[in-house]
Amino acid sequence: MKTAMQQPAPPECRQACDRMQDYLDQTLPKRESLAVFLHVRECGACRVQLETLQALYARLGEMPPIEAPADFDARILAAVPYENYRAMAPLRSPRVPVLLEQESLPAWLRSRSVRLVGLFAAAAALTAAASGVAAGTAAWTVAGVGCLPELSVRLQNLTRRVYVATVHRSIPR
Amino acid sequence: MFDRNEDLKLVRRCKRGEEAAFAELLGRYRNAIYGLCFRMTRRAEDARDLAQEVFIKVFSLLDRFDETYAFSSWIFRIATNHCIDHLRRNRMRFLSLDGFTGPDGEPMDLPLPDDGPGPDRLLERSEAMERLEEVVADLPPHYKVIILLRHDQDLSYEDIAVVLDLPLGTVKARIHRARAMIQQMLQARSYEI
Ligand SMILES: [Zn+2]
Repeated sequence: MKTAMQQPAPPECRQACDRMQDYLDQTLPKRESLAVFLHVRECGACRVQLETLQALYARLGEMPPIEAPADFDARILAAVPYENYRAMAPLRSPRVPVLLEQESLPAWLRSRSVRLVGLFAAAAALTAAASGVAAGTAAWTVAGVGCLPELSVRLQNLTRRVYVATVHRSIPR
Repeated sequence: MFDRNEDLKLVRRCKRGEEAAFAELLGRYRNAIYGLCFRMTRRAEDARDLAQEVFIKVFSLLDRFDETYAFSSWIFRIATNHCIDHLRRNRMRFLSLDGFTGPDGEPMDLPLPDDGPGPDRLLERSEAMERLEEVVADLPPHYKVIILLRHDQDLSYEDIAVVLDLPLGTVKARIHRARAMIQQMLQARSYEI
């Protein structure tokens, strides 16, 4: 096996050898990569060096995988402070003012079916008004009330998110 | 190689104290971390202790894990530091016992006695691979670790830079130097690649 380092190498060879690992890593700019390619095509010594390096890369990549012994996990899993993590979990979720807690809205208002029925009623009232079946003011009132549950839930969500992203983040923990 | 998002989900479940999540995270990294520790020390006993200590440390410090990094980078960083500290401590111990120095008066890296055959897989290796592993094992720790992270663990240069907290240029220069050292050592021992 030859290494380029021992040869009193001409400057082209030194340059090619300096770039060889980058060449194999494919991190060289195109132009320089091409220069290495063309040089090793002409120069036997550098070609040998490149092939040796290439073989080394391949061999290093073939190091056989190693498996941990069968009894490896027990000591680790026995040492994990599960209880601490469980106790700390609630503290980790961001704290928000009471008004922004989901529970501050009544459960019936938050329920999916109430919100859906409200939206349907609103849509029906508006359709009726548009087609002239119902009086304008009454339809608008129904639509407004119908949208209320969905709107209040969404508004609270949004405000909470904005709060967590801005105010909460700036509170040192 | 390691799925960053899946890891993050597992880490968050761990932070809620879910035992199954710890077991799963351990399953993902068990062989990689043990393998790194084994190839760093070449002693099955030491590798097991070191790798277990790495996981225990990681699992007890999860709260301090900065989610802007990949979990894999974090655990590899803890593992490499732990192995290098161990090798340094060991060398100090040997030095203070025997005062070994190399021919140039520099402290010498002593080959540590091997206890037992190690993992079963090692028995199947070809002679050439055994020699290559021997040479890699004899590299100075900072070069050895970078070769293992690149070629054994398949980390990119960028990932290695994060793991070792080094500039990318330093990582490249060091790995190039390490490969050249391997080549020279193989040659000096008249080993074929
Ligand atoms: Zn040449």
